[in-house]
Amino acid sequence: MSVEPRPLLSVEKLTIEIGGAAVVDDVSFDVAPGRVMALVGESGCGKSLTSYAILGLLPAAAKQTGGRIRLDELELSALSEREFRKARGKDISIIFQEPSASLDPLTTVGSQIAAAYRTHNDVSQAEAYDKARQMLADVGIPDPDRRLHQYPFELSGGMCQRIMISIALICSPRVLVADEPTTALDVTIQAQILDLMKKLVSERGTAIVLITHDMGVVADIADDVAVMYAGRVAEIAGVHSLFAKPQHPYTALLLASVPTLDDLPKADLATIEGRVPTPDEFGAGCRFAGRCPLVTDKCRIEQPPLFDCGDGHRSACWHIDRMHEIVEVAA
Amino acid sequence: MSDPNAHVLEMRDVAVHFGGRGGLFGASGQVVKAVNGVDLTIGRGETVALVGESGCGKSTLSNTIVGLQAPVSGSIRVGGEEVVGADRRKLNDIRRHVQMIFQDPALSLDPRSTIGATVGEPLKVRGVAKGAALKQRVGELLTQVGLRAEHADRYPHQFSGGQRQRVVIARALALEPGLVICDEPVSALDVSVRAQILNLLVALQKRTGVSYLFVSHDLSVVRHICDRVVVMYLGRFVEIADRATFFDNPKHPYTRALMSAVPQADPVVQRGKERYVLSGELPSPANIPSGCAFHTRCPLATEICSQVRPELTPRDDGARVACHHA
Repeated sequence: MSVEPRPLLSVEKLTIEIGGAAVVDDVSFDVAPGRVMALVGESGCGKSLTSYAILGLLPAAAKQTGGRIRLDELELSALSEREFRKARGKDISIIFQEPSASLDPLTTVGSQIAAAYRTHNDVSQAEAYDKARQMLADVGIPDPDRRLHQYPFELSGGMCQRIMISIALICSPRVLVADEPTTALDVTIQAQILDLMKKLVSERGTAIVLITHDMGVVADIADDVAVMYAGRVAEIAGVHSLFAKPQHPYTALLLASVPTLDDLPKADLATIEGRVPTPDEFGAGCRFAGRCPLVTDKCRIEQPPLFDCGDGHRSACWHIDRMHEIVEVAA
Repeated sequence: MSDPNAHVLEMRDVAVHFGGRGGLFGASGQVVKAVNGVDLTIGRGETVALVGESGCGKSTLSNTIVGLQAPVSGSIRVGGEEVVGADRRKLNDIRRHVQMIFQDPALSLDPRSTIGATVGEPLKVRGVAKGAALKQRVGELLTQVGLRAEHADRYPHQFSGGQRQRVVIARALALEPGLVICDEPVSALDVSVRAQILNLLVALQKRTGVSYLFVSHDLSVVRHICDRVVVMYLGRFVEIADRATFFDNPKHPYTRALMSAVPQADPVVQRGKERYVLSGELPSPANIPSGCAFHTRCPLATEICSQVRPELTPRDDGARVACHHA
């Protein structure tokens, strides 16, 4: 994370507990305007909870027990639900994985987009519709006049995701959280949506927090990446640095387990043995210790802090100096 | 199987259509031509990938091969035996040679059956084994997929997603089928688990000589595991080629668009590659464009494309491509 403007969104030492277990533990990252920060990890790593905390949408069972989240000068984690409702949609917005599950099936898409605009702006219905029409054109929906009056079931998955993006962006929020925005879409449509998100970032300077498990999507669109494992940040770096020289065994193995165009066909792919520990199995040490080829006694006893590896590349591993061994394991 | 030299699968001019005869509300519904004149042969121990977007007909085609869907015309031979028009008893007999693995293992397993009962069921139903012999065979199958024999007494919820997919694979292999249809078998799994399942499928093929029809949209997985690739668009094959030919020299503009659309897990490659983004979306299979069905989205389209449907024609390197301009 080289030279960059002042962060817009700042997550500091965020800790979220469910039933006394820290399912998000001491997570920190910053996102500057016009940048895309990807939170990557497997199911249960805490990436979605982190994003819900940013939106003030944590489920009832989950409690934020530490840290803070700031949007510029505004401390989001201190907001009441009433105050949060003013910020949501206007300053900070979210798109989810399954657009058809997030849209109201009984309301036309035009009215849903206009409603989002009128929630935060005192304008007439006609003005809100004008705004919605313009927004549809911006997200690349052909024939917006006709589309405004259609229902979600009349639109394809890709179209519905564009509608979701329209609703999320109609009030020009400064931060957009995108939770697996293309996972449910076909690859050709995914490419269109990713291109659209890149355009929005560069034209509007929106800061994006992208939640994904797809390393290809990360490689395509992210500026910075935080790799999460069992609720903690294992590694955080600029995208090029992370892919070129991963400094955490988990990242290195994850990258090696994705088939690439250089692999020998049908050769064994690198795997990570075992499984992610459940919260009641979290020990005092590194949470990846049970699956790590570099593990030593120290790893099991003492939790590694994020070490600086230069250029803003940080890794929570006691054995960064032995990373070359992982490369050999993976190859 | 009856004829040991026969291909595990031989399809000739298979078409599957839906609707058109009144429909649910008595309207004269449109005919949806989900699969339209498809030829496909799969040899022993071969893995063929079937690639395409949702709505292209790949799932209909898979369902037709296992006999869950009847074609309106054409011939399907599994291990030399004709599926189309076979009576119930015959169909039952043929079906043991072709099995299926689906995307989401959680939806493919009965939550109230132990995995031992699940994996043993095909053996029991077919009268292959019972009692102690059944128990032993189930144990062997579980071991074969990297689980343990004592797991047989557990229920699906006690396993992770990757382990459940192993159970599904064990069940599919119970009757030693010649062909297993894998419908997006790793798409629902986490990345690190995905590699384990792919390695397992390759290892099982080496050991048993089973063939796979591998339905997927993930071209890096396809390249890793397949010998031959078939690309489908709106019910027809548009390109068929060996893996090396396919990936070194893709020809059909749709194939090239798909390849360009799959993001590579390498920011330098991904951001440097030639972009070939398709405009628009897949037209409805109820209303397939005239001529070449792809002409509405194709960057190379000319007048002839909207009038004359291109046939699959062989090229010098062995690939077969249906395009006037490729």
